[in-house]
Amino acid sequence: MELARNSDQKQRQRKKNNVIKDSIGERIFNILNYCFFIILGFATLFPFLNVIAKSFSSEAAVVSGIVTFFPIDFQIGTYELVLGNKQFLNSFRITIIVTIIGTLGSLFMTVLAAYPLSKPNLKFRKPLLLIYVFTMLFNGGIIPTYLVMRELSMVNTVWALFVPGLINVFYMLIVKNFFEAIPDSLEESAKLDGASNMRILFNIILPLSKPVLATVGLFYAVLLWNSYFNAMIYITSSDLKTLQLYLKELIASTQEVMTIAGQIDVNRDLNQAPEAVRAASIVTATVPILLVYPFLQKHFVKGVLVGSVKG
Amino acid sequence: MKVTRVPRSNRFHTWRTIVKDWDLYLLLVPGLLFLFLLKYTPMYGLIIAFQDFSIFKGIGGSAWVGLKHFERLVVNEQFFNVLTNTLLISSYKLMFLFPAPIIVAILLNEIRKMMFKRIVQSVIYLPHFISWVIISGLFVNLLSLNDGIVNTILAKLGAERIAFFMDQNVFRGLLVLTEGWKEIGWGTIIYLAAIAAIDPQLYEAAKMDGANKLQQMIHVTLPSIFSTIVLMLILRLGNMLEAGTEQILVMYNPVVYDVSDVIGTYVYRVGIGASDYSFSTAVGMFESIVAFTLVVSGNALCKKFLGRSIW
Repeated sequence: MELARNSDQKQRQRKKNNVIKDSIGERIFNILNYCFFIILGFATLFPFLNVIAKSFSSEAAVVSGIVTFFPIDFQIGTYELVLGNKQFLNSFRITIIVTIIGTLGSLFMTVLAAYPLSKPNLKFRKPLLLIYVFTMLFNGGIIPTYLVMRELSMVNTVWALFVPGLINVFYMLIVKNFFEAIPDSLEESAKLDGASNMRILFNIILPLSKPVLATVGLFYAVLLWNSYFNAMIYITSSDLKTLQLYLKELIASTQEVMTIAGQIDVNRDLNQAPEAVRAASIVTATVPILLVYPFLQKHFVKGVLVGSVKG
Repeated sequence: MKVTRVPRSNRFHTWRTIVKDWDLYLLLVPGLLFLFLLKYTPMYGLIIAFQDFSIFKGIGGSAWVGLKHFERLVVNEQFFNVLTNTLLISSYKLMFLFPAPIIVAILLNEIRKMMFKRIVQSVIYLPHFISWVIISGLFVNLLSLNDGIVNTILAKLGAERIAFFMDQNVFRGLLVLTEGWKEIGWGTIIYLAAIAAIDPQLYEAAKMDGANKLQQMIHVTLPSIFSTIVLMLILRLGNMLEAGTEQILVMYNPVVYDVSDVIGTYVYRVGIGASDYSFSTAVGMFESIVAFTLVVSGNALCKKFLGRSIW
């Protein structure tokens, strides 16, 4: 009793001390710290705000370089141009198709790979895992992979845009870890009832795994949406040009001097600065990411931390 | 429960387990097929680095030339420049961008207003999900010579306008800056988790001993997250030869090749662009082997001295 009261008093004393300390140097530190994060947040958002403002500004304002946060001489002609551009729309369509098919395909392949590997009693489990993990540490590089894709006749087909990334080993390990954490008892009882492994996977495990499937599905979707590298290597036909590749060429073309003749001419006709059209294209291509971002953030943070636990 | 088993030969037992769960083993097939075709066949394809590979003759028909391409690589002045660029850009990024998330995480941890903290996190994680193509577009937009707000401000201040994307003196800095903008916020996640796992009693004790905020950070927070820092450093060092290929491929242009051509971009241009398959494969193979050696030895060191490892 005595002791308890003593320690209670001590704690109160400690708190008092803290309050006193808080009021001197720490208060300055805290103010500076809040200021720092306000500046950091501002620096992160400014490039977005500026590009949005430009995309809605008139040619004269954009060219004179005075647009900062808000559009000057508001117009939406740039967006009409972007959304009326056949190549842009086609690239948008291709990217959506690739993202959807690729995400579903990747999820399917990832689940199939992860489930057996989540079984502690699986024969050859260790070497099988090693076969997967080794590909994270060593790879053949772009040229040999390109030659294989050529042999498989996937170059210049829609397959080239998602097949090379079908299984991401890191994500596969996240799914495997999740499966491992599901209590065995559920499977045991199904097994006693004579269910096959496949049935257990599809009827019992997968319904329980919705959170991890959502997370990893979003992982894949963002990767697919953002990637331009595969398109750049494997695609030459403009029918299959993805959004990111189209934008890459658009940005390179307006970067200072170089121009893609057709593109700029169209813009001139409609009295739009190529910079404003470029800005509008960038904004339009970013909107889908911004739409899923609230979900992304919630799931991704969890995913990263799960993944950092040993595979 | 005890099951008495008739002793039988090991091989027979293995076989029986596999037959009993045949459908489980069947699930492994698609994933292994994927790995075989798209990961391990390209590794086999690395042997074209020792050939004068011709796409018409194939691996079987092309002449063996031993180490010719590696000898070419050693005496090649361009490769020497590429290697220098790679190491320089990687070192700059390591120097400025490795400590940054640690510092930001420690400072963010001091923010007591949860609402503010959550908003800051939402904002600074966002750029991680934006593709390099878009980011390149955002910064071209901000930094453009005549229409960019940054140059407008420079001009107003009486300074000279800077062509950031075309200036050999600032382009590497631009690479570091844009990568920082994209990844510093995201990089804090792993450290924030490590900090959250620190026993609050340590801080209590430090306060009792009269440690102020700064002293607590240096003597409690830093040592507690030290092993996480080392682990991340090893992962980072393993990537020293990957100076940001995807980033540089969208941001650079012939004017700044001299200061920004790195191994990845060089392999792409020589291999896919100029179809010099064997030589570019040799360059890529050099990168893969160095990276593999760095990560494996780093991980071994980590295991030995810290008792933690990546796998």
